[in-house]
Amino acid sequence: MTAQPRIQPQSAATDAPASGALTLSALSKRFAIEGRALPVLDGIDLSVRPGEFVSIVGASGCGKSTLLRLIVGLDTDYSGEIRLDGKRITGTSLDRGIVFQDHRLFPWMTLEENIGLALLNSEIPKEQRARIVCEHIALVNLTGFEKAYPHQLSGGMAQRAAIARALVTEPTLLLLDEPLGALDALTRVHVQTELQRIWMRQRSTVLMVTHDVEEALYLGDRVIVMAPNPGRIRRIVDVDLPHPRDRSSPVLHRLRDEILAELTGAPDPENLVRFPAQEPR
Amino acid sequence: MNRPLPRIALGLIVPALILVWWTVQSNAGGARALAFVPLGTIAATFADLATGGLLLGDALTTLSRAVTGLLLGGIAGIALGVAMATLRPVDRLVGPIYHAVRQVPLLGWLPLIGLWLGNGESAKLLIIGLAAFYPTVLGTYEGIAHVERRYLDVGRVYGFGAVQRFRHLLLPAALPLILTGITQAIAFAWIATIGVEILLGAGGGLGATMGIAQAQQRMDIILVAIAVTALLGFAINHLFARLRGHLLRWQGNPA
Repeated sequence: MTAQPRIQPQSAATDAPASGALTLSALSKRFAIEGRALPVLDGIDLSVRPGEFVSIVGASGCGKSTLLRLIVGLDTDYSGEIRLDGKRITGTSLDRGIVFQDHRLFPWMTLEENIGLALLNSEIPKEQRARIVCEHIALVNLTGFEKAYPHQLSGGMAQRAAIARALVTEPTLLLLDEPLGALDALTRVHVQTELQRIWMRQRSTVLMVTHDVEEALYLGDRVIVMAPNPGRIRRIVDVDLPHPRDRSSPVLHRLRDEILAELTGAPDPENLVRFPAQEPR
Repeated sequence: MNRPLPRIALGLIVPALILVWWTVQSNAGGARALAFVPLGTIAATFADLATGGLLLGDALTTLSRAVTGLLLGGIAGIALGVAMATLRPVDRLVGPIYHAVRQVPLLGWLPLIGLWLGNGESAKLLIIGLAAFYPTVLGTYEGIAHVERRYLDVGRVYGFGAVQRFRHLLLPAALPLILTGITQAIAFAWIATIGVEILLGAGGGLGATMGIAQAQQRMDIILVAIAVTALLGFAINHLFARLRGHLLRWQGNPA
């Protein structure tokens, strides 16, 4: 940690990379369940700037994960448009990386084999791959565990390895599907901090789905609040704070309360239950 | 209880008890002594057969026959299992006949195969090969057909082609079940080898010797052949279990 160059606090607007602009227009997706069409995403319009970190929060069932599957190209059955740097997305590609909630490292491969596997079809010359894999293992602080199998890693380590695997192809867009959802609270905070550090170095565009509002605010330049049935954008919150951020910032706390109120259905003063004979304090 | 010495000692308790019981029976006199050949006589017969080279020859014949049948049936089984799991038309075409035919006990085929191929080597290898074939097809098919979608997604994200998908994803993911199939195939092939040697007499081997000894009422020879069959089978199984453990070292120790 001491050898690392000091990263200057900067906002996403300055020093933005040239590529990684994601636009979603009128994006809709429906599943056919027992012959009936069930809409899961309805008319999503969103434009993400190159190098921006956008968090998506919402109740379960609001189609957050489906949205990421569409953007990464695992599901191409949708209406509307998804474009990355102007190019329409028609399938998977190495310019888009993804980290799932479960790390999905192949259990039969060591850590370095798993990460190297992501480069199988990359244009990076073979002789440079080992070095690049090594650098990315170092990036997520797993040096020394190259030969470990996934079952020998802790949950946090495995998830960091999955992040390294997603980053090794240097994608212009990184998709994170509740990447820290399965980790315990302490490990979570730790990996969040690392994620912020890594993002500030790599500066790829990031779209992160999470159910943790604090996490969404701590990392995101913007937070998209989604509503369920069918999934749609309810509100977009700008988090106008430079990175790296201070978790205890009052702005983050105020925004958290606002978003939580929105997600849990803001109590309407008309509907509040009035307790009788409340004592004065 | 995982240190080797106490474990081996424990495993020997039941065989030792059986030997004691055996000795008691053979000392009971009368007709008993005929069926329960005294241990001393068995040991003498063993020494006799071993020094004459007869036992070694039989064991090698049986072993090479079993291995040949296992390789033929096993390789064909893996090939068909892969084809059925990855190509739907193949599954539709040969799946039903495979599942129907494997219900028939191998003994049931014996008269027919004897009629087609006689009682020579090819008839024996066909039976042994079939014994190894059935479980290998099943293990390979189940293993590949049930590779988890979440891993297949990873393969798609990194743009795997068909060959990459097979080599880096399907095959290693299916390996535990393929190896389970082969473990069964080894046991079945070994049993089938002894069986066809007994039933199709000619051509030597431990089973053939058992058959001849039965005709001559030499219980001692039968018992020696049985003991060698059991020990060899145990050794093969043990060696393969170690190979399996090595190939699946990435699974860790299931607690």
